[in-house]
Amino acid sequence: MILLDRVTVIYPNKTVALSGASLHIQPKEFVTIVGASGAGKSTLIRLLIKEEVPTSGKIIVGSIDYDTIDKANIPHLRRKIGVVFQDFKLLPNLTVYENVSFALEVSGVKNAEIKRAVPKILQLVGLSEKAHHYPSEISGGERQRTAIARALVRNPKILIADEPTGNLDPKNSWDIIELLLKINRFGTTVVLTTHNKEIVDALKKRVITINRGRVVKDEKVGKYTL
Amino acid sequence: MITFWRVFKSGFRNTFRNAWLSSAATVIMAVTLLIMTFFAFSIIFVRSQLNEVQKKIDLTVFISDEAGEAQIKELQNKLLQVDGVESVQFVSKADALKRLEDSSEEGKKLAKSATDIGNPLPSSLEVKLAKLDDIGGVNKRIRDLPEAVIITETSFDSRDDNRKGVIENVIKISNGVTRVGAVLSVVFLLIALMIIFNTIRMAIFTRREEIEIMKLVGATKWFVRGPFIVEGSMYGVFGATIATITLVPIGRVAGQFLTDKFNAGSTVAYFGANFWLIVLCMDGLGILIGAVSSWLAISRHLKL
Repeated sequence: MILLDRVTVIYPNKTVALSGASLHIQPKEFVTIVGASGAGKSTLIRLLIKEEVPTSGKIIVGSIDYDTIDKANIPHLRRKIGVVFQDFKLLPNLTVYENVSFALEVSGVKNAEIKRAVPKILQLVGLSEKAHHYPSEISGGERQRTAIARALVRNPKILIADEPTGNLDPKNSWDIIELLLKINRFGTTVVLTTHNKEIVDALKKRVITINRGRVVKDEKVGKYTL
Repeated sequence: MITFWRVFKSGFRNTFRNAWLSSAATVIMAVTLLIMTFFAFSIIFVRSQLNEVQKKIDLTVFISDEAGEAQIKELQNKLLQVDGVESVQFVSKADALKRLEDSSEEGKKLAKSATDIGNPLPSSLEVKLAKLDDIGGVNKRIRDLPEAVIITETSFDSRDDNRKGVIENVIKISNGVTRVGAVLSVVFLLIALMIIFNTIRMAIFTRREEIEIMKLVGATKWFVRGPFIVEGSMYGVFGATIATITLVPIGRVAGQFLTDKFNAGSTVAYFGANFWLIVLCMDGLGILIGAVSSWLAISRHLKL
């Protein structure tokens, strides 16, 4: 469950990124957040991974109240939320396999467990064949699938995908969206932000529209309208 | 434990990722450790030499041949009461001759001719001082004694006895070496700190993307910081290794030279016997310098 209650973010230069935004996402939901550039989508995601703190308002994810979590526990929070970005954020000097296992290594998972989990997740995203390739040796779609595998390998309850198809061609974009749907069917809450109208309209899922830092529309089966 | 091992592995690997900067950091670390070890050795060496010199008799008081045994005894007792005198030993004319005879081949000849003319060598009192710096003062106090009439001269008066000069020189050298050693060590310590600080700062900069990803996937603060501390410490270990490899042949040659020329066998042997302790100290110091500069760089440039 993700709950934002009248969240406002004002930057030191007085820019209002979010203004009293409230939303409630149920477990296992698939939600798309749309909005023009600068509408506040990225701020919203940074808030959810606690890279940013709201100026006012309340954020609760699962059973965690973001007001009360201390700094030392932020890494633990981030392990419960998987995130993928438009620019993949893969380590170029690690292979696909290593990029995925890296996420487990930093959280102190035992080697035996890593050896069990990584091949499984690579199979889920369809990258078993490319496990020992470096990011520079695979396509954009495959890179994004690596990033998704890395986000999923710790079995997060929530997967946030911030414009995951922004750098991909339509074919690869659809592959990624289908992968996200599959993950959602397995029970992971997916929060997707995108500019791709075709995808949003075809998904027939819940769409939250943000404009100038406010939630202006929230439809159960929505369409891409700005 | 597994996390510690991973942090160590990652830090170790990172050390080799930026070869040029790493070599610079390692070389400066080696130079710093060499300089520190060299001056530590020099200070110990000069101090031990000073000790050797000081152990020898400090002041010889020559007695007139006319003086009676009672007068000499009296003077000896008085000398013991003089401020700054530790002990007094009587050397008779016969003893002096015997010593000359035993000293060398040349001495033997001299002693023979001395015997022929009826042993002109004076008897003497050998005075050991509590503190060498005060040799002039003690000499004056001895000269001022009423019993001093039987003294013909002292080693301090005689021009050819330059023991005071030697001792003063040794003290001067000792203080000089200590001062230069301390200053140079501090200077190089600061240079090493700065260069390693900069190396780690560059590493943080070039790895900022990696750091961002680590944070993103939920790495704890220490998982991000640890490798940099390990990297800094590795420069210490590598530097100490290079310093040790350089030191061994230098130590061999210098040790032989010092033993032959300065009778410094004991100091050299001390270093030989404690070789592994010295290596351990260098490694320890290197790791400390590396870890401290990494820590400074991290706290300044790695905001988590």
